[in-house]
Amino acid sequence: MDNRRPARIHRFRPALITQADDALPDYMNLMGMIFSMCSLMLKIKWCAWVAIFAALVGFANSRTSDDAKQVLSSFMLSISAVVVTYMQNPAPMTIPFMQ
Amino acid sequence: MRSSITIFFVLFNILLCFVWSAAKKLKDEDFSEFDDFDEDEFIVEAPSPSGASPLPSKTQSNQPDLTNNDGPSQSSSSKTIEQKNNDDVTIDDDDDLMFDEEEFEASDSFGSSSSSSIPDLKITDVPHNLTGNRWEAYHCEAIMIIVLLIYLINFLIGRSKNSRLATIIYNSQHDLLERNFSLVGDNGQTRNIQSTDEQINNDIISNNMHKESESLYILWCSGRISIESMLIEIRFIKRQCLFNSLAALIKSINDMIIYTIDYTKDDIETFVFCLAKKRSAVKLHRDMNDLSQFCSERKNADKRGLSGNYQILSEIGEVSSSIIDNRVVDFIDKFPDALEYIHISDQYTGMKVQNDNQQSSSNSSLNNTNITSNTSNATQQQDALNLSERSVRRVLIIAFNLIAFNDRSLQVTTESISSDYLRFVLYLADRINSYRFTSKESKTKAIKNRQRIEEQFLKNVYQQRQEQAQQRREEKRRAEKEKIMQSDDPEKQRKWEEKEHKREMKRRQPKMKQMKIKAM
Repeated sequence: MDNRRPARIHRFRPALITQADDALPDYMNLMGMIFSMCSLMLKIKWCAWVAIFAALVGFANSRTSDDAKQVLSSFMLSISAVVVTYMQNPAPMTIPFMQ
Repeated sequence: MRSSITIFFVLFNILLCFVWSAAKKLKDEDFSEFDDFDEDEFIVEAPSPSGASPLPSKTQSNQPDLTNNDGPSQSSSSKTIEQKNNDDVTIDDDDDLMFDEEEFEASDSFGSSSSSSIPDLKITDVPHNLTGNRWEAYHCEAIMIIVLLIYLINFLIGRSKNSRLATIIYNSQHDLLERNFSLVGDNGQTRNIQSTDEQINNDIISNNMHKESESLYILWCSGRISIESMLIEIRFIKRQCLFNSLAALIKSINDMIIYTIDYTKDDIETFVFCLAKKRSAVKLHRDMNDLSQFCSERKNADKRGLSGNYQILSEIGEVSSSIIDNRVVDFIDKFPDALEYIHISDQYTGMKVQNDNQQSSSNSSLNNTNITSNTSNATQQQDALNLSERSVRRVLIIAFNLIAFNDRSLQVTTESISSDYLRFVLYLADRINSYRFTSKESKTKAIKNRQRIEEQFLKNVYQQRQEQAQQRREEKRRAEKEKIMQSDDPEKQRKWEEKEHKREMKRRQPKMKQMKIKAM
């Protein structure tokens, strides 16, 4: 017995996916931008590295429906923060609470 | 987008190389002034002519000796050196003589005379990171880069593993799905899905699951008897994120596959039922709107022949024994721990926290528009208030854990059991479609419950509407007041204040009237 009924076709709506409470990619993007700004303005090296981490974690957890530009801009900002901080002061990084 | 990430990382490495080479150049340029040692003498000799005058006798006495010892070519340079030496020597004559004698003895060679006179230079400490092996000083950066690379490698491995599992599941269920549904796979964006030829040629309805994120794959099926639609969601552990996969190890989270079947209004009997594992039962009872409203308590499923691990939440008593039949029990015995929960509801409105989002999106869907859940709060509230009835879905949700059985790998296990899961789901879907209450009391009880909840909902809506109207009235009054105050016309202000006063009296009057009647 054929159970298929072409007349009963309903189209998919993205709202039907069970929404999981996952705001991690958004938080990570925000954190990435904040740390990038900190490192650029206060010339703190480890902030720049944490910004790269945050951008990477945000990218890994992002959904396909998210805007790719947001993630990429966060990435580029954090990489530029690292580069600029090291241009200004090529000395190796010192982690303040581990000295 | 994903493939361009590798390009970015290559660029990043190139940038780092540039930075380090620039740092090296800077280091070279910073200290270039100390490289040339010949300049020292020229710098120190400058003050010597000024210091030569207080000791003219000494130079004169030294001169004849000099001419004896040195060649004429060296006389001038040795003179200047001696002048320099005399400047640094102490004032005491005896000492001078001693020093001079020592100098004369050693004054044969240019080098020895210069070595005995140590210039009084202060050698500052060069920062340690710019001396010796600079690369070793950058150990923190090396650690950071290694961790980044580890994360990136884990991302690639995790992503490919999830993708492979999704493909395996799709391949094992594909045939059965094609036989049961006329539409398999729809991402909601294609326009024309009429003929099968177009389906084959159409890239968007691809022959694989639709990737929502690296850990969430979905498949939409529709066009079957007794069912409106079925959504298959595969929720993997976030293997692509290092921190999440470590957390999953600690918390023992599993991969899950969730089948959500939607019915039309007439396809399903009116009841709310849930059979779940203990940990899920607690969560569902707390978070799901319909389960918390209609099901008062959780019961152990021992009596139905299931292990003590499972609990039942049921609105109507007779439903449990009809739904949990032999097939279900056999399935649970065959695949222990595989079934996470079965949730059947004709009053499904989602989770408590996201209730507003769900309501608004399903409200808009009733109007045949495709709005995402990111509408503004104002329109959400407006939509919720305008509808006089709650937007509910009639659903059957079955969640399975994907765990490896019998020491086989996860992939092998998934391949062999996916079609079994799907057959069980379709069986249950047909069963629920054909199930009807046997007793009238169950029906009346169900109707009574729904009426109760509906009344509560309407009351809430009415209250909210009142509050909104009140707010609007106050805002209007405030705007009026501001306008009047700004107009600077005392006449107008007085008139408006009189009006306000009358309004206040009117509002208070009814209360006073009531009191009078009571007193009488």
